[in-house]
Amino acid sequence: MTHEVQLYCWHFMSYPYLAEDFDSTQDSGWVTVPNSLWDRERSRGLYQQYLDQLVYASELGFDGMVLNEHHQNIYGLMPSPNLLAAALTQKTKRGKIIVLGDLLPLYMNPLRVAEEYAMLDNMSDGRLIAGFAPGSGPETFNYDVASAPSREQFWEAVELIEQAWTRPGPFAFEGKHYPLRYVNPWPQPTQNPHPQIWIPGARSKETLVEISKRGYCYFLSSRSHGKETAKSVQKFQQTLSEHGKTYLPNRMGILMSTYVGETDKIAQEESREGIWYFLRNCLKGHQRREGRQLTFGPGVPYIPVNEFRDYLRHSDPTTPLLGDTQDWGDLQRSQSIIVGSPDTVYQRFMDVLEHAHVGHLLIQFHMGNMSDELARKSMRLFWTEVAPRLKKSTGDMYGKIFAKAEEQAMKESVL
Amino acid sequence: MSERLIEVGQRIVNVIEEGQGAPLLYLHGFADLHGVSGELFPFHKSLAKGRKLIAPAHPGVNGSDELEFYSVDDVVFSYLELLDTMKIDRFDLVGHCAGGWVAAEIAVRHPERVRSLGLIGASGLFVQGQLIGDVFMHAQPERGVDYATLRRMMFSDADAPMAQRYFPNGRGDLEEETRRYGMLRFGSFFGFKPPYFYNRSLIDRLGRADMPALIAWGERDGMVPLAHGEAYARGLPGAAPLLVAKGAGHAAHLESPDVARAFEGFLAAQTVA
Repeated sequence: MTHEVQLYCWHFMSYPYLAEDFDSTQDSGWVTVPNSLWDRERSRGLYQQYLDQLVYASELGFDGMVLNEHHQNIYGLMPSPNLLAAALTQKTKRGKIIVLGDLLPLYMNPLRVAEEYAMLDNMSDGRLIAGFAPGSGPETFNYDVASAPSREQFWEAVELIEQAWTRPGPFAFEGKHYPLRYVNPWPQPTQNPHPQIWIPGARSKETLVEISKRGYCYFLSSRSHGKETAKSVQKFQQTLSEHGKTYLPNRMGILMSTYVGETDKIAQEESREGIWYFLRNCLKGHQRREGRQLTFGPGVPYIPVNEFRDYLRHSDPTTPLLGDTQDWGDLQRSQSIIVGSPDTVYQRFMDVLEHAHVGHLLIQFHMGNMSDELARKSMRLFWTEVAPRLKKSTGDMYGKIFAKAEEQAMKESVL
Repeated sequence: MSERLIEVGQRIVNVIEEGQGAPLLYLHGFADLHGVSGELFPFHKSLAKGRKLIAPAHPGVNGSDELEFYSVDDVVFSYLELLDTMKIDRFDLVGHCAGGWVAAEIAVRHPERVRSLGLIGASGLFVQGQLIGDVFMHAQPERGVDYATLRRMMFSDADAPMAQRYFPNGRGDLEEETRRYGMLRFGSFFGFKPPYFYNRSLIDRLGRADMPALIAWGERDGMVPLAHGEAYARGLPGAAPLLVAKGAGHAAHLESPDVARAFEGFLAAQTVA
């Protein structure tokens, strides 16, 4: 088994044509941001440009391409990641296609996801990684999805989809939220028994327990990586061991963002506009104190009351969020968007990985209104100058740390 | 005031009681007993002057267990089961906000059990062009700390002392914030879909609830538009003319002594068999 970290290119597909006064004139980039700001003429060819950047990642040699689902915002123009994934199945020959993921409670019938993912797996000759996500605050408002029952709905939908891929049909699914008389999807996925399943999570113990029991991969949904990321790895390790399973780096992934230039100075100069457009505009309403963030809080009560009490105990509502970042120093401390020369970027990525032994890095290159040319340049420099060293170093490091764990994991899978 | 946990089937319901006499079931709203406070407000005490006030906390709120299902019927039955457990047959019924909606749903199903009906700023109706406010979005504070728009939704004025007391900026008291969260979670289960807090069929059923009724509304209700009060007053055959509390907001019963006075008179006029 390879211990090298797997490196994927994640595209969020932000809306890049906002006026300079957006932040001073609009409360939010999410849900209520007026769509009269959409410029039809300038937006011609935008999806093509973004899609081609992902194709470029595949050509460079990245281990895969990542898409996700968002609605009614400027942060991510992907209401249907499956449409873009379908395009990638035809435009690329190699690399995983990770949809992270379809927001299950937004589907009237999650069987549709089982079907579309099975189609994508067939169309890509078994390259799909199937992400499932419950959605967070904004989706509540976007699709009239009640927050409170959404977690329970989500796990029932996951169960339904996994059964649809593994249990011979037709069968009746006697669910609380999705009772179905005939579950019998054609096609079935190419990968046997099914594509790897990834689930994002942040605070919830329940999520870790379910992922551990079901043998899925855990994606930490956080944009910042300090001590918390290492703690999340430890929590996941512990939850796995409580369920008689052993942690290996390939069970967990994180999101990082980067811009690579020839030198630190060039990297900062070239990425400044795109990064600050992303922080100030795209994160407004999501991960910024200014305005009204809709992602988490009392108005989107998807966690149980006792978990919310714990959250209150251990949080401070005045702590700045990523979008409140003031300068490059702040940005560096958050270990979220890593900007610099290949040496700098390599070192800062390793700073994170030395503390948090995760096997999948999902990396955002395009940020905000970054030009096609700069996004591609950063991807190219990363792949040629940073990736080989990251792979070598993590291969050595994880090989040593996880040699025993791997033997143990082999035994578990035989059992 | 006394407070006790009552076992109803497999569920625990937290019930506050006050006063002596014929039973009056009070179903609370958000800016209300249980929703923001564990204590009775003067309005509730005035209801209890000639009655035994029985005020359960909604499912998942202030110590009551959550329900397994949250359709209108499920919530109505949770209260019918509570009344059965407490051996209460006939009762006066008063509700505020979402509690008013549940009260109206009980009244149209069991007019024979409801002696009189009182509604204050009640949700529940679909009135074209008069959307009930988005309490969920406004419960997300601006800049992480500022609840001014939520306060304005609940009270006549964001700066009103009661508004500041129960929806303060920044991190409030842990138990109070937890209580508010429980109420929002109940609202999310029960009233989020359709958006928000109505049952499209209810308005056509109001004719069944022919008991004497008093409908009170804050003139400046920022949550449930006054047009909903007018619709209740039109649809309920036994309703007195709509009482509009001058200058009051959604929590008119807490803000305006006129509302408490009107209810005292209204309840005193009912014959208790």
